[in-house]
Amino acid sequence: MKLVKKISVKTIMYFLLIFTVVVSVFPILWVIMSSFKTNGEIMSGPFVLPSQINFDAYRYLFENYDFLTYTLNSIYVSFVPTILALVIYTAAAYVIAKYKFPGKILFYALFTMTLLVPAHSRTQPIFSLIIDLDLYNTREGLALVYLSTGMAMSMFILKATFQAIPDELSEAATIDGASFVQVFTRINMPLAKNGLVSAGVLMLLANWNEFYYANLLVTSSQNRTLPVVTILFNSMFSYNYTNTFAALTVVVLPGILFYALAQKQVQNSIAASGIKG
Amino acid sequence: MKRLKAPALRTNGETKKKRLKAPALRTNKAQLYFWIYLFLLPCVFIFLAFYLMPIVTVVVTSFCQWDGFNAPKFDGLANYTKMFQNKIFYQSLWNLLGWAFIAATLHVGFGILMAFIFREKPKGWRFTQVVFMIPNVISVAAWSMIYKYFFRNDIGMLNSIIRIFDPDFACDWFFQKPEAFWAITLTWLFYAVIVTLLVQGDLMAIPEQLHEAATLDGASKWQQIMRIDLPLCRNAIGTGVICSITARIAMYEAIYLTTNGAGKTMNLPVMLVRAIQDGKYGVANAYGVVMLVLGLLTLLIVNKLFRMDDPVY
Repeated sequence: MKLVKKISVKTIMYFLLIFTVVVSVFPILWVIMSSFKTNGEIMSGPFVLPSQINFDAYRYLFENYDFLTYTLNSIYVSFVPTILALVIYTAAAYVIAKYKFPGKILFYALFTMTLLVPAHSRTQPIFSLIIDLDLYNTREGLALVYLSTGMAMSMFILKATFQAIPDELSEAATIDGASFVQVFTRINMPLAKNGLVSAGVLMLLANWNEFYYANLLVTSSQNRTLPVVTILFNSMFSYNYTNTFAALTVVVLPGILFYALAQKQVQNSIAASGIKG
Repeated sequence: MKRLKAPALRTNGETKKKRLKAPALRTNKAQLYFWIYLFLLPCVFIFLAFYLMPIVTVVVTSFCQWDGFNAPKFDGLANYTKMFQNKIFYQSLWNLLGWAFIAATLHVGFGILMAFIFREKPKGWRFTQVVFMIPNVISVAAWSMIYKYFFRNDIGMLNSIIRIFDPDFACDWFFQKPEAFWAITLTWLFYAVIVTLLVQGDLMAIPEQLHEAATLDGASKWQQIMRIDLPLCRNAIGTGVICSITARIAMYEAIYLTTNGAGKTMNLPVMLVRAIQDGKYGVANAYGVVMLVLGLLTLLIVNKLFRMDDPVY
């Protein structure tokens, strides 16, 4: 009886493991495989394997559509706001973690409470703000909006990081004549590397994948980012499924590659993002 | 939030005491404050421009008639009364209720289940965990598009698999009435890796002695999970529930890119964007206020329900 129970628990466990793997990667593998099929092969059913592997669809995409521009735009709106935001939030988190000053608790509460604001409820004022700044339909406008999105998460991660650095180091440096800025840049910043990477990876992924504002604030083709290109697939490749699937692969693959390269970091970041509550 | 706040305040107290002993830091107080506030300034600026001002605008103009060109005109509760007479609005709320319920039960439940399975370390668990993360690192927009094709009746994978067992099966998932709701649900239902990571974190923190003592007392594995592990993970589970419900409030791509609200799948963000595009800024912001209130309610209710403010140990 005990053995039966043990075996059935094991079976369920392995079934769920396989199930998880299947739902997580199977749709993507199906899309990648389909991008190598001809349109006819796709129409004749999903179980047909591609008759040959060629990259014609991909070549077609980059030659006939601005996929290079879209990719570069995505890189721009991912990296520029992430780096700027890191500088801004690191500075704020640092003084909140390390110094005592009037309003400290209030500032921290305000910055972290931004987490409670549902992402889309601020849409109209931000939309109008970007139009008023004359940044509608520019990459800069989008980057500006992305600057604000990681505030609460970065605060949590960076404040905890700076608090974990012993104060004695800063004190010793101060006694040796280091200035406020030097204590920050020479002593604390290098030791906060892990927190910086965690917050950075989190913002980078969020910006790279962002669709909502990218779709709302950018209309022209030369400023479009990769996630937004997905909605044009239907009209762009009217019923050429091979191109559609190749385009989807181009949109999806960079994120997966990034994850494959920085797997531990991404996992740490996403785990850290959960501690917010 | 509470979890981080308590120890943080304690360390601050300690550092303060130490710092007062160091004479170098006591001098030049004005200069010190200058640097501190200078470091805060950019962050305060972003907070004002992208959070405080927008939220004030959203709340105030939700009581106004406003087209975005002319100045907003105070209109009392008109936007709200119109909203509550709108059938589509009720449909959105109803959908949200359904999705929030599914998120809090099935979605979070699956995440918890996987955390417990990973703890048993069966063969291949590490690989599964790595792969489990992939849907969370690619854009929701692309994922929604993938599902749109995956569920297609003619070229889609799902129906082809079903047709192996039932050759006459036909269903246009995203274009039929009750099915569209479930098709959208399936685009996120199983991707609960964040819940899993949260629960794994709390499981790791449970002292080994607790399990040893329970085993000595003759408690079965099942009893230990129900009586020890789950109650001690309630913070992680509560956080997971909050995250997944607020994600449902903000769900946009999964609807906009698949059904665009057809087939009784409308939700608040899609309505909000349409109101902006129609130049009905006041109405859009009334939806924004509803989302804001729902988000806060979720936080308060789940917090109370899971007693997240009480110490766990």
